[in-house]
Amino acid sequence: MAETAIQEKEPLFSSKERKLLTDPLSTNNPVTVQVLGICSALAVTTLFYKALVMSVAVVFVCAFANLITSLIRAHIPKQVRMIVQLVIIATLVTIVELVLKALNYPIYKELSVFIGLIITNCIIMGRLEAFALSNKPWRSFLDGIGNGLGYGFILLVVAFFREIFGKGTLFAGSPAELKLIGKSIPSENIEYMINTAATSGWESWFSWYANNNLMVLPASAMFVIGIVIWVQRSWNKDLVDIS
Amino acid sequence: MDFINLFLKAAFVENMVLAYFLGMCSYLAVSKTIKTAFGLGLAVIFVLAITMPVNWIINEWLLADTGIFGTDLTFLRFILFIAVIASMVQLVEMIVEKFSPSLYNSLGIFLPLITVNCAILGGSLFMVSREYNLGDSIAFGLGSGFGWFLAIIAIAAIREKIRYSNVPPALRGLGMAFILTGLMGIAFMALMGIKLD
Amino acid sequence: MHSTRQIYTFVIGMTVIVALILAGLSTVLKPIHLTNEAVFNKKAILSAVLPGAKDLTDEQVEEQFKTVEQMVLDYKGAIKTKDEVKKLRNFKDKEGKAEDLDLSKEKKRNEKDRLYPLYKFVTDKNETLFITAVRGSGLWDEIWGYIAIKDDFNTIYGTSFDHKAETPGLGAEIKDNPTFPNSFKGKQLYNKDGEFVSVLVKKGGADKTDKNAVDGISGATVTCDGVTDMLKKGLQYYMPYFDTLKK
Repeated sequence: MAETAIQEKEPLFSSKERKLLTDPLSTNNPVTVQVLGICSALAVTTLFYKALVMSVAVVFVCAFANLITSLIRAHIPKQVRMIVQLVIIATLVTIVELVLKALNYPIYKELSVFIGLIITNCIIMGRLEAFALSNKPWRSFLDGIGNGLGYGFILLVVAFFREIFGKGTLFAGSPAELKLIGKSIPSENIEYMINTAATSGWESWFSWYANNNLMVLPASAMFVIGIVIWVQRSWNKDLVDIS
Repeated sequence: MDFINLFLKAAFVENMVLAYFLGMCSYLAVSKTIKTAFGLGLAVIFVLAITMPVNWIINEWLLADTGIFGTDLTFLRFILFIAVIASMVQLVEMIVEKFSPSLYNSLGIFLPLITVNCAILGGSLFMVSREYNLGDSIAFGLGSGFGWFLAIIAIAAIREKIRYSNVPPALRGLGMAFILTGLMGIAFMALMGIKLD
Repeated sequence: MHSTRQIYTFVIGMTVIVALILAGLSTVLKPIHLTNEAVFNKKAILSAVLPGAKDLTDEQVEEQFKTVEQMVLDYKGAIKTKDEVKKLRNFKDKEGKAEDLDLSKEKKRNEKDRLYPLYKFVTDKNETLFITAVRGSGLWDEIWGYIAIKDDFNTIYGTSFDHKAETPGLGAEIKDNPTFPNSFKGKQLYNKDGEFVSVLVKKGGADKTDKNAVDGISGATVTCDGVTDMLKKGLQYYMPYFDTLKK
């Protein structure tokens, strides 16, 4: 998804700027390499759709916080730098909250305090400190998008596995809910229930699967991220922790 | 008695790190040795215990529609909470530096990190959504700070020991810390549902 | 380097700009937030009688809800008029209908001061259903639900549950797993001797023939006990009113 978007825009960017977008997706991933922004992420990965909304929110906040900070970076007094950054982030997060509450109330209810916790997502703060304060607006904006996507990517991977193995569905909670594996839930009112039990086709191959409740529990997010890190570092030996 | 219950509940049953997975960044980054973990843990207890009641007062007296402005200003909640936390952290830093330079030296570098510790803001937001009163919020702040302290000491101790074990190279360090935290979280689930009244 | 005056100007300027932006946005979006919240609650109420209510659009929900008759009761089963409700709860811009009550605030009141909302719904098969609202505590925080009762004032037609912060995969299954609310269908509030016993959520599974019990959720004992307790305590206050209707 992210890759295709980058390819389409390719002529607009020099290779240096493209790196700003692609690095955070792999070798410099904010979650698995920089160890930033794990806190608020884990609770929202039970459902893929929730993780998707959260990712979009983080990409938005990260990109615009970087852009705004970079635009006014010459005017920010050094002594109150931290508070200024926090105010910018908090404002953007409040905007996200207000808009989400108006657009999709059920998902707003589901995410509840975790929207607010985007403020303390260290990725955003970290990028402002490390990048936006010393770079031009356009590049900072790209860096923000890149890091937001890198974070969102991990979120979606974790949510994908947790939802499939925990509930047997994908996109539950959204209008496009898919039942992928396991038995569908028996309903006494078939007339109202879309009957998702597959009797033929590839879906029926997995109908023996019983949902694994462990994957729905918060702790399983830690296992999944641990495994993601394991896979990534087996691939890319440079990232292995020597200590 | 209620306060003691709430303290124990926040520290053990609803542990910020192991039940809600809040405050993870610094928890994972600063848990390589027990000594540093101890310092950060203390600082978190301190800041949580101060910011909770202050944020409670701000929320009840300024932001709620029953407050002094008489209108619903809750959309300013995030900004005010985070500003309070940031300034409290700075204040704590100054006070500690003035009165106990030795403590400041051992804590110093970790203090600014606390501003972006989600456990602090999370605590304040939980306090609002659970409608605690002033006394409750102090007990809850102390309790969740203590719970955070315990969790980071525990993981630091395990990480110090696990260095001698034969972990697959790619899983060493961060990967292992994640999996350990998951296991600790499951262990803490055994405490779930304990009613202390 | 910035002077102290510049810092103050910057901070004050920024605060004013930010406050203005947020105040504007919040004022513009407030009406939408309020409608969303109302539709969300109405959907929860309708879910107890229409299993497909989750997928209805906002307009369909409003349309469907217009057919619902609303009542407010006190603990003795006497109907309170809109004006009485308005006076009792100091409503300024609300009408004093059942949907206007803030149930989490009602729960905090003394049982005798509480007001109990009741909704009367007629299905397309011409069955009259009474939807009651119950509220209690789960493991972490509040749980609540709407229970639709048939006009024999005994048999449960359908239920919908929700919670504030139960554990995903365990307590949260009362909402996430449709099997749980569905298992209440056809259960009865009175036992064979005509005594009010409500419905028990039984740990380890209930006997299929038992009309007064449903299967619990394994690993979520506290939430299930919370549901049992909530049903028993919550439904009993509707019984005096139902008794008057039976006559």
